[in-house]
Amino acid sequence: MTEDSLVAVKNLVVKFYTYAGVVEALDGVNLKIRPGEILGLVGETGCGKSVTSFSILQLVPPPGRIEEGEIYLNVGGKTLDIRSLPKDAIRQIRGKDIAMIFQEPRAYLNPVYTVETQIGEALLTHRKNEFLQKAIEALEKAGKKSSFEKRVYERMLKKPKSLVTKIMAKFCRKKTLMKEVHKEVVELLRSVEIADPERVAKMYPFELSGGMAQRAVIAMALSCQPLMLIADEPTTNLDVTVQAQILNLVRELRKTFKSSILYITHDLGVIAELCDRVAVMYAGNVVESADVYELFEAPLHPYTKALLESIPKPGEEFKSIPGTVPSLINPPKGCRFHDRCQYEMDVCRKIKPEFIEVKKDHFVACHLYGGSK
Amino acid sequence: MSSIITIRNLKKHYPIFGGVFKRRVASVKAVDGVSLNIFKGETFGLVGESGCGKTTLGKTILRLLKPDAGNIFFDVPESIINEVIELERTNPKSKRLKLLRSQYDIATFSGERLLRLRRRMQIVYQDPTTSLDPRMLVKDIVAEPLVAQGIAKGEEARKLVVDILKKVGLGEQHLYRFPHEFSGGQRQRIAIARALVCRPEFVVLDEPTSSVDVSVRAQLLNLFKDLQKELNLTYMFISHDLSIVECISDRVAIMYLGKINELAPTYKIFKNPMHPYSQALIASVPIPDPKKRKERAPLTGEVPSPVNPPAGCRFHPRCPLVMDVCRKEEPQLFEVEKDHYVACFAVAKR
Amino acid sequence: MDLSAKWKELKVSWQPRIKEWKFMLKRIRESPLALIGIAIIIGFVIIACLAPVLAPPQAGWDPFMLRPDKDLAILTPDPTPPTTRHIFGTTAEKFDIYYGCIWGTINAFRVGLIVVAIALVIGVVLGTVAAYYGGLIDEILMRFTDIIIALPGLVLAMALVIAFPTTIPLNITLIILVVSAVLSIYFAAFKPQRKYLLPNQIILLISLFLYLTNPIVIGLNMSKLDKVLISLAIVGWPGYARLIRGEVLRVKNEDYVEAAKASGCSDLRIIIKHILPNTVYPLLIVVTLDIGSIVLTAAALSFLGIGADPNFADWGNIISMSRTWISSPELLVRHYYTFLIPGIFISLFVLGWNLLGDALRDILDPMIRRR
Repeated sequence: MTEDSLVAVKNLVVKFYTYAGVVEALDGVNLKIRPGEILGLVGETGCGKSVTSFSILQLVPPPGRIEEGEIYLNVGGKTLDIRSLPKDAIRQIRGKDIAMIFQEPRAYLNPVYTVETQIGEALLTHRKNEFLQKAIEALEKAGKKSSFEKRVYERMLKKPKSLVTKIMAKFCRKKTLMKEVHKEVVELLRSVEIADPERVAKMYPFELSGGMAQRAVIAMALSCQPLMLIADEPTTNLDVTVQAQILNLVRELRKTFKSSILYITHDLGVIAELCDRVAVMYAGNVVESADVYELFEAPLHPYTKALLESIPKPGEEFKSIPGTVPSLINPPKGCRFHDRCQYEMDVCRKIKPEFIEVKKDHFVACHLYGGSK
Repeated sequence: MSSIITIRNLKKHYPIFGGVFKRRVASVKAVDGVSLNIFKGETFGLVGESGCGKTTLGKTILRLLKPDAGNIFFDVPESIINEVIELERTNPKSKRLKLLRSQYDIATFSGERLLRLRRRMQIVYQDPTTSLDPRMLVKDIVAEPLVAQGIAKGEEARKLVVDILKKVGLGEQHLYRFPHEFSGGQRQRIAIARALVCRPEFVVLDEPTSSVDVSVRAQLLNLFKDLQKELNLTYMFISHDLSIVECISDRVAIMYLGKINELAPTYKIFKNPMHPYSQALIASVPIPDPKKRKERAPLTGEVPSPVNPPAGCRFHPRCPLVMDVCRKEEPQLFEVEKDHYVACFAVAKR
Repeated sequence: MDLSAKWKELKVSWQPRIKEWKFMLKRIRESPLALIGIAIIIGFVIIACLAPVLAPPQAGWDPFMLRPDKDLAILTPDPTPPTTRHIFGTTAEKFDIYYGCIWGTINAFRVGLIVVAIALVIGVVLGTVAAYYGGLIDEILMRFTDIIIALPGLVLAMALVIAFPTTIPLNITLIILVVSAVLSIYFAAFKPQRKYLLPNQIILLISLFLYLTNPIVIGLNMSKLDKVLISLAIVGWPGYARLIRGEVLRVKNEDYVEAAKASGCSDLRIIIKHILPNTVYPLLIVVTLDIGSIVLTAAALSFLGIGADPNFADWGNIISMSRTWISSPELLVRHYYTFLIPGIFISLFVLGWNLLGDALRDILDPMIRRR
């Protein structure tokens, strides 16, 4: 199952140990993202979409803990088991191989630094040697073959960890390096369709509108050419016209950068607009996963069917799913959807259905389709 | 149908103070000349993107904000409104006009008369977490309009509170709890109960379902519909979610940068939007059907700042049909077909 | 509703608040520092309540005044060390230190609570009015507050105590005249409540008549302690005004305040029922910390001789009496009991309130966040 995927999540169980009790946030989540595809993760508030994305990057905040399950990342021909990696290795992956963008861009940008400084920080963290090389070449072309700066850069390339290098670097103004980084930042901002990127680079986050800030964050995320981008409801707070622009931008960028995207949202319209495959989550489980056309035409899981039916249509009554999402502190036994499901059977109350392939590439976790072993 | 609300040329500007002496250097023209009327018993949808002034318009109609110019008529006979319009055109300084305005135009009301008006028009806010006082019990929150306006108190108020709570789907057992003990959907119901307890005639719903879970939205929207029938309410439904507005409103107005671009019955405006902005807006809504994907974004650029709106037609910098006149003059709303009003020179030319 | 149902109703209505209190108590129990602080303060409260039992006053004397022990006066002019008759020793004037410390506890509570209460009332009223109405009123009130803050606290307190006249003549008729004149302008100009206008005008005319013919003047006698209390309150209120102004500015723009306006609430009702309950928490924390520091300041004033009367049973007073007897290191050690013991009392008192204040801050913060 993991061979053809970029990231594979198997039977992920995450629990939060809070004052009020143990919240069983994820109860065996199965996800697979193939290289170059956009997977939409859809579900209501509290179903565990954000927790899943945080788990992939090992960013689950305490009191949350990943209890069971495996997360695999296929990079460079090797399969890495993310859960067993040491902290340093995970930090290398974050930002470089897997990048993440969030719902409120201005809350995730440091308000006291300019856009340029922050994107520059991301660039220098992961692509430092590349920029050092560029700076050296620039200095050589300008004729300053033996300047102090050039020597510092060469030393930083060859012996980055020695104390002498660090002291020399502290005294050096690194103007050329910063100029190279600035050029790249402006190019990045231009590639996310920001008009007048030179001016925007020097702005502070509070000066940007929502759409522009989100584009800047996307630029930052893509600056290191990640294999996968996790987008956690990035357009929920934006106006509808700006959302259309950003969705279009994401489509274009996918073509240029060829990254996979895990797009989390609760809006089925956005899913239909953007994604190749869809995974539907409910109360900590992935209940259905299929190709987008097939999901909208022939949904299998009762929850998916109910979700599609609850889309408001003019002239008809608003349909909602009866009941409420169960509390995850003491979740119902068996299938977690059984008390709201119109096809509820006896077995649904006792045994949790398995996530199995019912049709080609169409996975469902429901007893209606033989979910019990 | 008779209009319950008629507003004419309403303006609300927020001053920006700057400089050493904190003088008014500029103003945010949140609502800049809006005229419309709302019929009794209908649901009037007001849509637009953030910063277009829809919330400001709703609050100004309720006189939670004092308008800078314009008239607001609440339940005033048409003859008087016509007389005021006539007088303003011919003899703006007449004493009769001043008298009529002080009697009927609620834009001029203050003090005691404004207080009596509060009973007849109310508002439900967007975020139920911040619109309910976290330190008050539900009983006190819902009873507050009754007590503050002197309509009822003590035992009588309690009966009215229980009555309205039952109507919104809560019960007597919820009286003595704090708001934070409820879910988002239930808190919004408490806010609705508070708005309806004094039996208003007109309710402004300011994005009432935006801060609530998707699964609860349908329940709340059905509740709004039921309550409207049961209590004879007129709604002004403000939202940026076009799919909801399409399903719940009778007529819809689309706002952009403080002015109304298009106003028409719901099915007309969604089937055949005429203003270029309305077309782009409706086309931008993602459709939950992958077969109907869009190829490119319908509208480019960003909304300009309301401090310095573009001259002439506000939309002209982004409009695909821009003409010379659009840069200089502001288009007015005119009737393109029956009940369908558009403010656009390009549409008018046809 | 009959009585038993009403009683049940009342019990139910208090349940959610009781739940909140229980949660808060649980957090207090979990914090050891809070428990120590509370224990110290409860200890002092017990001492204060049992003062007549622990240190019985002489019949006929004001219990708050120290009485010299005449038997010892003949023997030595210096302070006497602790003996069985005087557990903590005596000062040079032969005042029993033990007695002074016990009755000083009551005094400490009195000073702390009264000063804080007065400063709180003034500060909250001015701060809330300034923040709620904004504009020119805010500017004027805040500049006035700034002026008082700019002056160093202790120096200002000393100056006020010295400058306060012992008898303040209060011209009651003038006060009533001015108040009713202001109110009549207010009612006439803004016409909110017509029904108050007529009685107000009647009062205005009566007081005017009395002022011209036979004004009533009351002389207010201020004991030295009262002067200290009022001076400290005057020095203290600007801090509270600033604090509550910040909080009110934050709460003023919340949705529920506007919703209350939409429901038809008057300004006063909004302030009392909505704004104040939501802004008062940070103030509670500062108040507990201040009670300790005010007692310390009052002790400092007593030490400088500007505080209460020389015979007053007050911790600072006792320490001030020891001033001349600790001039050299040898004397310091010999007469340790004159300053060390009252000093321990002061330190423990301030420590107790400080710990309680810190604990309250830790407890109330998550409670606010929990909402």
